[in-house]
Amino acid sequence: MSKNNLTKRYTKWGYIFVLPFVIAFLVFHFRPLINTFYYAFCYLKHAGNTNPEFLPSIGQPLFKNFKEIFSAVSFRDALINTFFFFIASAVPEWLLAFWLAATITDRRLKIKGRTLFKTAFFFPKLVQGTTVSVGGHLLSSIATFVSLTAVALAMDGFGIEFEDLEFFMSVRFFIIILTVFMHFGITFIYVIAGITGIPVEVFEAAEIDGANRIQTFFRVTIPCMKPMLFFITVVSVVDGLGMNEIPSYFGAYDTLRRNLTLMIYLNNQAFMGSYAYDKASAASLILLSMFVAIAAVVYYFLLYDKDEARLKKLQRAERKAMKKGA
Amino acid sequence: MSENTLTNTELKKKDIKLKISVYIVSILLTLMILWPIIMMLVDNFTSEVTIVPGPYGTYQEQSKTVYFMTQHPFRDFAKNWTRFARDHQGLFVGLKNSLIVTVPSTIFTLYFSALTAYAITAYEWKLKKVFDKFIIVVMMIPNTISTVGFYQLVYKYGLVNRLSMLILPAIAAPMTVFFMRMYLQATFSMEIVESARLDGAGEFRIFNQIILPMLKPAIATQAIFAFVTNWTNSYVPHIILLDAEVMTLPLIGGYTIWFSYASFIPPIIVYALCSKHIVEGVALGSVKN
Repeated sequence: MSKNNLTKRYTKWGYIFVLPFVIAFLVFHFRPLINTFYYAFCYLKHAGNTNPEFLPSIGQPLFKNFKEIFSAVSFRDALINTFFFFIASAVPEWLLAFWLAATITDRRLKIKGRTLFKTAFFFPKLVQGTTVSVGGHLLSSIATFVSLTAVALAMDGFGIEFEDLEFFMSVRFFIIILTVFMHFGITFIYVIAGITGIPVEVFEAAEIDGANRIQTFFRVTIPCMKPMLFFITVVSVVDGLGMNEIPSYFGAYDTLRRNLTLMIYLNNQAFMGSYAYDKASAASLILLSMFVAIAAVVYYFLLYDKDEARLKKLQRAERKAMKKGA
Repeated sequence: MSENTLTNTELKKKDIKLKISVYIVSILLTLMILWPIIMMLVDNFTSEVTIVPGPYGTYQEQSKTVYFMTQHPFRDFAKNWTRFARDHQGLFVGLKNSLIVTVPSTIFTLYFSALTAYAITAYEWKLKKVFDKFIIVVMMIPNTISTVGFYQLVYKYGLVNRLSMLILPAIAAPMTVFFMRMYLQATFSMEIVESARLDGAGEFRIFNQIILPMLKPAIATQAIFAFVTNWTNSYVPHIILLDAEVMTLPLIGGYTIWFSYASFIPPIIVYALCSKHIVEGVALGSVKN
């Protein structure tokens, strides 16, 4: 009983400690989010307008903003571009990061200079503020490489025409390269943190049982770092779908919309010229629903404990039966 | 260790092949990543040359500025500095504002996230499980989603051009909370807290003197990310900071060499301070059972 009292005495500190977080969240994150929900069904245009009018109250259909967005070609292009950039940059980045991290941390290989590589890979993130100048140099060196390859191919043939290499000289390719360049270090650091967090004994046991590297990776490493994997995925999705800085370096007025992403679209709608806050809110809701859908799928596969859920169901059923019996 | 593992020569050979390929890939990647950064630094030791179009407009219509390395790189460096100090007073204002925004918001993010993570891990309160799930849900919603709502809020209450509007939201950082909670769950043990309580320490004192040092690796990792994110953040600032006196560094922007120095030296200092403690194995704890 005294133990129970003791824990009760400390319960209030749990509430006190989360209070700053909750207040800041409600004021600065939750309220704007709710307002964004509301504005999506309002009329709210012109710069600095803070007087939303609910659409049905002024005789307009409720989903007018959504309809306008879905009928716009630019939104469709932005959607396609965003997913294209996200997948095209995330897949090579993940493959490289996981392969490198798994082999670099392998105890049997004893690879030296892990700290050095980690620092080097993380460096682009540190100089992110100067992407303009760093990116320029990166792109010029890549362009040189590509053009030299193109010249070599043009001389020798191999059945590859110059036109086949057009993609590697395009804005889209440069955006993908820059994104991977900027983001690779983050994924790498988190993967290494996840792998080194697994107790060494687990790997030793797998080794003694005669598992090879690939088996160890898929059967031991990945299941053991599931929470970290979830974290990495969320970071990747949030950064990938929310990308706006790197594409916007390549010009704001590309009429073919080759670098238009959803964030740039949103920014253009709300703050750069159009001042259509209502449409921007609707666009953010669509973006939000995509985030939630992807994250829910990832959560189900990585963090959702099926056995625990089943156990809870059984317990609930038992309790019900007890109640009925009583 | 090597006695009881496989000593097959074929396996050894495979190992060496893998080892060599890992080294080659990492070193190539390192070079590829560092090359542009080195080139950017070299830019400081160049001299600006303006190419003027020929008398008949042959090469290009407009004059073009290019940078060349001359025989006197250090003289050019000094020249670049003098010209910069004359032309770009605004950059110092930007640097000051960026520091005013970034340092407090990073500290807020780290301290309050650690506090929240501790509250979830250590105490038994009613809404604990719900709050835990809630953190995971809101973690997936980036701040940029609610920009319109935030902008309207700021405009309605006349808080435009206030730097505090960038600092205070940093108190609630769900992603950092999730990361810290993940780390704390692996290292935390109630015995430490209970023994501290027996010694008569208050709850805040336990958190500040025992839990925070325990969380050091997680804090170091998140410090770097939080600092860089706030330092390079331009999306929200460009909406609510309109006057030149309150603009942060990314807003002032500019393609000058000195701008790049100002924007990457502070993150590198933070990285140098934190990299020693960066998460290297979440299993390292203060009490082992």
